[in-house]
Amino acid sequence: MADPKKPRPAFAPWDRRELPGAFDVEETARRVGNYKWVEMRLFEALGGWVATVPELDVKMRLGTHCYKHAWHSELWHKRLPELREMNPERLTLPANSAVEEFMEAITEPEGEDRTLEKLVGVYRVLIPHKIAAYTYHLNNTSTITDAPTIRSLKLILNDEFEDWRDGEMMIQSLIETEEEARRAADRQAQLESILVRAGGIAGPGSIGMPAPEEVTA
Amino acid sequence: MKRHLRVDDLARDSRFVRLPLEARFNDPRPQGSRSSSGRSGGRRLTPDRPGAPDGARALMHGIFVGEIQALEGAGRTCYDFDTGAGADDVPFQLKLDMARQCWDEARHCEISVKLSEWMGTEIGEFAESTFLFEAACNPDPVLRLTGVNRALEGLAIDVFNAMRDFGDLAGDPVLEFCEDWMLADEVTHVRMGSDWLRRLTEADPERRQRALEFQSIVDKLFSGGGFRGEEEDSPIRLARRFRQLAGFTDAEIDSISEGSRQARREAEAARQRAAAKAAG
Ligand SMILES: [Fe+2]
Ligand SMILES: [Fe+2]
Repeated sequence: MADPKKPRPAFAPWDRRELPGAFDVEETARRVGNYKWVEMRLFEALGGWVATVPELDVKMRLGTHCYKHAWHSELWHKRLPELREMNPERLTLPANSAVEEFMEAITEPEGEDRTLEKLVGVYRVLIPHKIAAYTYHLNNTSTITDAPTIRSLKLILNDEFEDWRDGEMMIQSLIETEEEARRAADRQAQLESILVRAGGIAGPGSIGMPAPEEVTA
Repeated sequence: MKRHLRVDDLARDSRFVRLPLEARFNDPRPQGSRSSSGRSGGRRLTPDRPGAPDGARALMHGIFVGEIQALEGAGRTCYDFDTGAGADDVPFQLKLDMARQCWDEARHCEISVKLSEWMGTEIGEFAESTFLFEAACNPDPVLRLTGVNRALEGLAIDVFNAMRDFGDLAGDPVLEFCEDWMLADEVTHVRMGSDWLRRLTEADPERRQRALEFQSIVDKLFSGGGFRGEEEDSPIRLARRFRQLAGFTDAEIDSISEGSRQARREAEAARQRAAAKAAG
């Protein structure tokens, strides 16, 4: 073994973490508050839908996924005071009114004949957008100063990928006709268009591309 | 999606058949079976009792539909109320507990589907009564949690304990293993109910009283005829030790036990009156 007293560099040769990051404390808290708000609306809706879905396998999966998003909201809730926001409720907000409109549109379907609409909203629109926003955050925050957010993002992204796959497979198993394929596509387009106005789940800049009006402002 | 569903709103596939609670208790077939007939043997569920396999299958199917409703009820509590500190609101942490319960109950559904299959039962072979979800429709979150998480999940503790013993006596290690795991989860759920009742009614003794009265009504329903009690031959024995772990006081357990003895005396008296009347 090497001499334990021999000086070693603080960062091992394979450790390429860097100090600079795209977000300061305030911006990180704003995004985290937006994430928490979305995760809360999502777990509440999944829980509410369980009773309205007749398909037994879907019912049980929604119950499982409900908990995962609740846990994500709890991770974000606990992160906020560490980002100098001592009243987490103050930042638990939608990024803008279009995000609020989007979550309302996603949770609108109720009837037992609308499982497809429920699943498409969550697994073909919301979860892909969450994966995008979380990945952007993960790849652009400071790998040294913001390590706690990175750890949460990685744990959450693992859940999101798994749930996205579960959801997509449930959707594919429910679509049996061309008409149903169109129904799913129409629902997806309707919800996507609201998110275009919103700029993503954390508003313009969710994946690092400012909305045009921000560029010209 | 609207808040606060009714029992009739529950979505099921075509295999499920619903039975009102009164009809279930008055049904002469064991546990409301659609395929068996006649009540037979002693009261306690043991493998050597005549009709025990059918009784156990019916009970397991009842557990399965109860798990579905427990999942649905916990899910609705995540959705039906605003998050906050107002009288009609629920705290964020309570919703997190309910979401956790959703996951647990989803696993219980999975476990009981597999166990039912293993026991040779098809989904829908026995009728479903919706008593659990009825308690989960209570518009007051404190009453809802007390009725569901203390009374009904408390009953689940008693039932899982009985099924675990049945698995042991019947030499079925898979049944015993699964019931033991579910029992651990149910103790957690009952403890959630006990904790939230205490925390949410700390400054409101009147609300606490109403919640405990609601719990007692639900408890009485399941002590009907002494179905669940502490007698040697009670079909379902009161699981005193696990209830203590879940936040029940000895006085509360004594009261459920006494309620059951009283219900049994009343049922016995009614039987004697009926027999005397029949004899002319
Ligand atoms: Fe359960
Ligand atoms: Fe439970």
